[in-house]
Amino acid sequence: MRRYVERTLIYLMMALISAPFLSMYIGFFLRAFGEGSLLGIVPQRWGFSNFQFLWKPIAWGLGRTTMWAALGNTVLFAVTSGVVVTVICMLAGYALSRIEFPGRNFYLTLQLMLHAVPGQILLIAIFFLLLYVGLLHRLPGVALARASLEIPLGIWIAKGFFDGIPWDVERSAMVDGCTRFQVWYMIFLPLVRPGIAAVFIWGFLFAWHDFIYVYTLLPGTIKVMSTLIQSLLATEVIDYGYLAALSLIYALPPLVLFVFLQRALLKVPVFGGKGLG
Amino acid sequence: MRVTLEELCKYFGPVKAVDGLSLDIQDKEFVALLGPSGCGKTTTLLTIAGFYKPTSGAVLFDGKRVDHLAPRERNIGMVFQSYALYPHMSAFDNIAFPLKLKGVARRLRERKVKEVAALLRIGEILSRKPSELSGGQQQRVALARALVKEPGLLLLDEPLSNLDAKLRITMRAELKRLQKDLGITTIFVTHDQVEAMTMADRIALLNEGRLQQVGTPVELYRYPANTFVAGFIGTPPMNFLPGRLVSAEDKLTVVTEHFTLPIPARRLRQPFPGEKEIEVIFGIRPEDIVLGQGAIQGEVYVVEPMGKDALITLRLGEETLKALVSLDLHLHVGEKVNLNFPPDKVHLFEPGTGASLLGGRRES
Repeated sequence: MRRYVERTLIYLMMALISAPFLSMYIGFFLRAFGEGSLLGIVPQRWGFSNFQFLWKPIAWGLGRTTMWAALGNTVLFAVTSGVVVTVICMLAGYALSRIEFPGRNFYLTLQLMLHAVPGQILLIAIFFLLLYVGLLHRLPGVALARASLEIPLGIWIAKGFFDGIPWDVERSAMVDGCTRFQVWYMIFLPLVRPGIAAVFIWGFLFAWHDFIYVYTLLPGTIKVMSTLIQSLLATEVIDYGYLAALSLIYALPPLVLFVFLQRALLKVPVFGGKGLG
Repeated sequence: MRVTLEELCKYFGPVKAVDGLSLDIQDKEFVALLGPSGCGKTTTLLTIAGFYKPTSGAVLFDGKRVDHLAPRERNIGMVFQSYALYPHMSAFDNIAFPLKLKGVARRLRERKVKEVAALLRIGEILSRKPSELSGGQQQRVALARALVKEPGLLLLDEPLSNLDAKLRITMRAELKRLQKDLGITTIFVTHDQVEAMTMADRIALLNEGRLQQVGTPVELYRYPANTFVAGFIGTPPMNFLPGRLVSAEDKLTVVTEHFTLPIPARRLRQPFPGEKEIEVIFGIRPEDIVLGQGAIQGEVYVVEPMGKDALITLRLGEETLKALVSLDLHLHVGEKVNLNFPPDKVHLFEPGTGASLLGGRRES
């Protein structure tokens, strides 16, 4: 009986703590699927009319765009950033985990410090940098700049995974005839697949969520989901149901990606080995 | 392949992991690098393999310096204590990996893997992943991977220490036989003196980065060069007692608090001129002590039966000695026994350096 009471209390506490978030999410879903709302809150009936942007162009301000174009841009932007972050962090993480060179510890500390600096203060510098190399106002160029912000901590994440591989495995591979690059490519990469997934999600997610960089560095004609939603907010008449439906679509791909990669993230290989003798 | 180490030094900052190691390993020889943890044996092995650059000195293969060669260019096979199999590859792919890197054609690769797998009797398990193999099987796969490319030199880093006691004894004999059959020069790192004694042609005993003695197992056992070797080789370890070596009228005698013992002068490494006496450390192996006869009196303190033999702890006044004798002697705690140290079996060492004062006759 006492256990039952304790249980109930625990659930009650948990419900209380999650109530603000849950109510927001519930309101969000109700809005997205509700039609003809009364006083802007209580929906009259259920339907998909809020999702009309799936087949109709969206009007914003003076221009018109389709949701699909914005979604496509967002995917391109986030995937580019994720791939760039992954490739660089996997190479740098291996080097910092395995190769001794002067300034290695300084470099690692520097990466952490760089991450502590808010990325926004670099906006102007990045603006001019992209301008000079001719990548300003172009999606891949801005994706590259966005990726660079997640690389410092991404390197640390990657290094952590490489650190988990015993030295003996690497030495074995080198005796067996591997060059450094072959060790990385043929032995280490297959063993740190969860790490690759983690770093990719890292790079992908931050680019997917990004607003300030795409807003500042891309022309108004190239819309990603975050800037599209912002421009809808900026118009005079705001249809909250419509906005909620659009936001739902925006939130979906990271969720799907996470569900798919979750298995890889949890599948961490187990090693046993002797360290430096 | 002949391996020569010339005054090899490897320092890590202030730590002298290997300090002036010179060693000549003959073609087809099986040499054990033996020593306690931290003695520099693994560092030596990793330097021979090319993972560490020597601080000074040189490693030579067949008389040629190899310091500039990467591990992959040295034609060596290596087995690690942890076996270090590639977890994402099947046993077959693990063994075939060195051949794949060499660009050996698939057909030939398969044939060679099958051959070496048959040699090590692991033909049945080739499709399994390392995680599905027992420790003994993993070890055989690791050995097969090291042997498949027919290396000139095989390096083994404590390969038996992760096996259970029974399997270790089986593998000891198998590995020894395999090495002789294949005739591959082999360097074997171990901290277990029994492994080194039973398997190696010669043992190089290291302590604190320095070579203590190199020789056949019997040489190290019978003629230890210093107190470290004497105490490390042999179980239970040698007994040490402080004493004096007295020379009078061409006769040598060891004098300790509890006994005096004549020493044949021919056993001395250097002649002992005139009449004088020096401090020495007297050493005798437990298995060399004779109980039940002789003029020295001791008291039985502990009896530890071990099947055929018994390990007896004896007290000579304040000193204790271990003696390994037949269980048939039926000794009891508290009993007074006579004991004797055969003069040919005793050891004498210099107290300061620990160096042996007695000659190390070569076995013929």
